[in-house]
Amino acid sequence: MGELEKKILEKIKEEKIVPKPRWQFLLKNYSIWTAFVASVIIGGMAFCVSLSIIANNDWDLYRYLKISPVTHILLSLPYLWLVLLFLFLGLAIYNYKHTKCGYRHGVFIVFGLSIAGSLLLGYIFHSYGMGRKIDRIFSRNIPIYQETFCCCNRKDIWSQPDKGLLGGRIMNVRLDDGFELEDFQGMVWQVEKDGQVLIREPFLVRVGEGVKLIGEERAQQHFWAREIRHWDGWEEDE
Amino acid sequence: MLDREKCLEKTDEELVVLTLKNQDFFSCLVERYEPKLMRYIRRISAATQEDAEDLLQDIFIKVYRHLNDFDGKLKFSSWIYRIAHNQVISQWRKTKSRPLVLKFEADDDFLKFIATDEDLSLDTERKFAAEDVRKMLDKLDDKYKEVLVLKFLEEKDYKEISDILQKPLGTVATLINRAKKQFRSIVKEKN
Repeated sequence: MGELEKKILEKIKEEKIVPKPRWQFLLKNYSIWTAFVASVIIGGMAFCVSLSIIANNDWDLYRYLKISPVTHILLSLPYLWLVLLFLFLGLAIYNYKHTKCGYRHGVFIVFGLSIAGSLLLGYIFHSYGMGRKIDRIFSRNIPIYQETFCCCNRKDIWSQPDKGLLGGRIMNVRLDDGFELEDFQGMVWQVEKDGQVLIREPFLVRVGEGVKLIGEERAQQHFWAREIRHWDGWEEDE
Repeated sequence: MLDREKCLEKTDEELVVLTLKNQDFFSCLVERYEPKLMRYIRRISAATQEDAEDLLQDIFIKVYRHLNDFDGKLKFSSWIYRIAHNQVISQWRKTKSRPLVLKFEADDDFLKFIATDEDLSLDTERKFAAEDVRKMLDKLDDKYKEVLVLKFLEEKDYKEISDILQKPLGTVATLINRAKKQFRSIVKEKN
């Protein structure tokens, strides 16, 4: 037996060194995999909210807001969710690279697979309406979220009658020429419409429906509607 | 006392299983890997014999502590070389008093292996003295030296190098190709 070999074995015996239990390594390994899967799922959720916001955004409003299309796009992008998507993608890559076999694949392959996983999951979540639900939870519970981050159906945008944009709930429908509308501040507006009014989605103008109006403020609490859009998910938003 | 004959007929993986039941079997693994790892440490660091021995002791203690982490999907030799590589790097980070210098010993060995490599044998053709080869190797970038040590001196294949350095196979292949390319250009300069 060589000197070094003797020294090593003596040290093990003297210091009573024992192999660490297997469960510790398994726990560490499973924790890393769990963190990886969680990161991909949260990334998927961030993508599904982004998708919902982008799909539900009124991209043509730049005309009424008197800003350029590019500015409108830049102002409408769901930055918070996109940042979260990339943050969790980064975490997914970091976690994967720290799994036992993580070094075998290059960063680009791991990034590609993680982004594909998050996008696919995000699309599935979106198709089940999860994006709107998450967005709604944030809108209800975090006041600053509505104004600062580009959530679905931004109430601040549809509270600008001076710019021809008004949103709210139909209170009372008159036979042909209009209806009453309660806006987000609780003010009641007399809304006029004529035969030329453009109704975007196939929906009925009836009491309780949420709507977005594009038109003109003609007098105090009097609004002329040129276009009526359905406020998708109004019941849940309220 | 353990019968040494018993060790010879066992594979590394079998010895790991036996060590977990009876720590005396660890001496078989130490005996088997002590000279190899000592050479490897000396080749990838500027450690003195004394420092290398201390480092080797730490490596074997770490191997013993982590035996339950060895899962058998990897070759035991790759796993133990990986621990040695990481321990050398971490030791170097701890002290930093001595630069991490990769040096090549036994250039005859290196020449023997390098001469069997199709790409490089054309350029070297064994016409340089060992001292010349050492000087040429010193000119290589550090990142290429360790892969060359593993490939030509430790005789590891790409998969093993990938497992030891924990880099993708493609990266290992790229590093070796670039190392060869750089080595060839150094040889040409020398010519």
